[in-house]
Amino acid sequence: MSSLEDPTETEEEKKAPKKKLKGKNNELQERLRSIKIRQGIIGYILRTSRSASIDLKDPTKIIDYAVLSSTTLDAAADLSETFELGEIQNILLEGKDAKILLLKVEDQRLSIFMDRNVDHEKIYRDLGM
Amino acid sequence: MSRDPYATGLETALAEIKSLCPGIKASFLFTNEGTIVAGDSDATVDTKRALHSFQSVSEKASPIGGILKLSIAGSNGDLQISQANDMYLATAISKDADEKYLLTITGVIVPTVLKLLKTIIHTPAPPKAAPPQQLTTKKITGFFAGDSAEVDRKILTEWSDFFKGQTINTIQIQAPNGKTTRCKVKAIDDERLEGKGLIRIPEKTLKTLRVKEEDVVGVKPLAP
Repeated sequence: MSSLEDPTETEEEKKAPKKKLKGKNNELQERLRSIKIRQGIIGYILRTSRSASIDLKDPTKIIDYAVLSSTTLDAAADLSETFELGEIQNILLEGKDAKILLLKVEDQRLSIFMDRNVDHEKIYRDLGM
Repeated sequence: MSRDPYATGLETALAEIKSLCPGIKASFLFTNEGTIVAGDSDATVDTKRALHSFQSVSEKASPIGGILKLSIAGSNGDLQISQANDMYLATAISKDADEKYLLTITGVIVPTVLKLLKTIIHTPAPPKAAPPQQLTTKKITGFFAGDSAEVDRKILTEWSDFFKGQTINTIQIQAPNGKTTRCKVKAIDDERLEGKGLIRIPEKTLKTLRVKEEDVVGVKPLAP
């Protein structure tokens, strides 16, 4: 599919991809809202290059989680290059107390924080990945 | 040439696992301190770079209780770094490999070999480090600020010379209260701050160390 602009394209048609993306974003936000209320889910951070949407049960940990999430995504990109893993599909970071599922959705970076006993594979599936 | 029997034993175990499971692209073991203890000799990956990436996460992982396991699923293959006793085992596998089977094998054999070796051989030595420098702290702020500290380019060059020309990527900072942390390091890019014996540290790291701006901290490079 070409990304070049078609001169015959109407304004409505030009806006279509944006609308589609917005629709996808709304759908993702909807799914996150339903996941967030589940037992064992600590919260999530959804980042684009320009903004971040953060919803965590314990607001005092926002900076700690944001830094960990950002560092993990950067390190994973580096590790993927080192081990020639190709495009990253998902990352799972497990600690003694909690774990994080990190994903790239379109141009957004999503980190979902949860207790260790939560089924992260189900979360992954429920996000439509 | 005499070799550390601990490393030899582990390398033999990793080589055996690899011959049993051809889907393994690379595997190596490293300590919590960042020393590579053993790796399969065929692997051509830059293990030091990988370690550096892993440690950058490890240093920030206290909110989730440290790292037990890091898994990355990629379009061409997967990487898993998991805790095995007091070490970490990194295993990169190709996409067509039976991941569950491989990870079960490595997850059982390696900790068993480690346990066995520990009972008969000493643990490996910690990484060597240069003498510390005393530097005055300056804060780097910003919500998504990087996680690297910054020191004079001259200091980085001196450290590099100490390690026979190798680039220094990681330092250890010790606060006056005795707290220590590791972080990535790069040169200060503001000319006005150069040559003043400063170390620019991200705000989060300052908090971890419980130090304020203008405090003097000990800084030493870690072996590349």
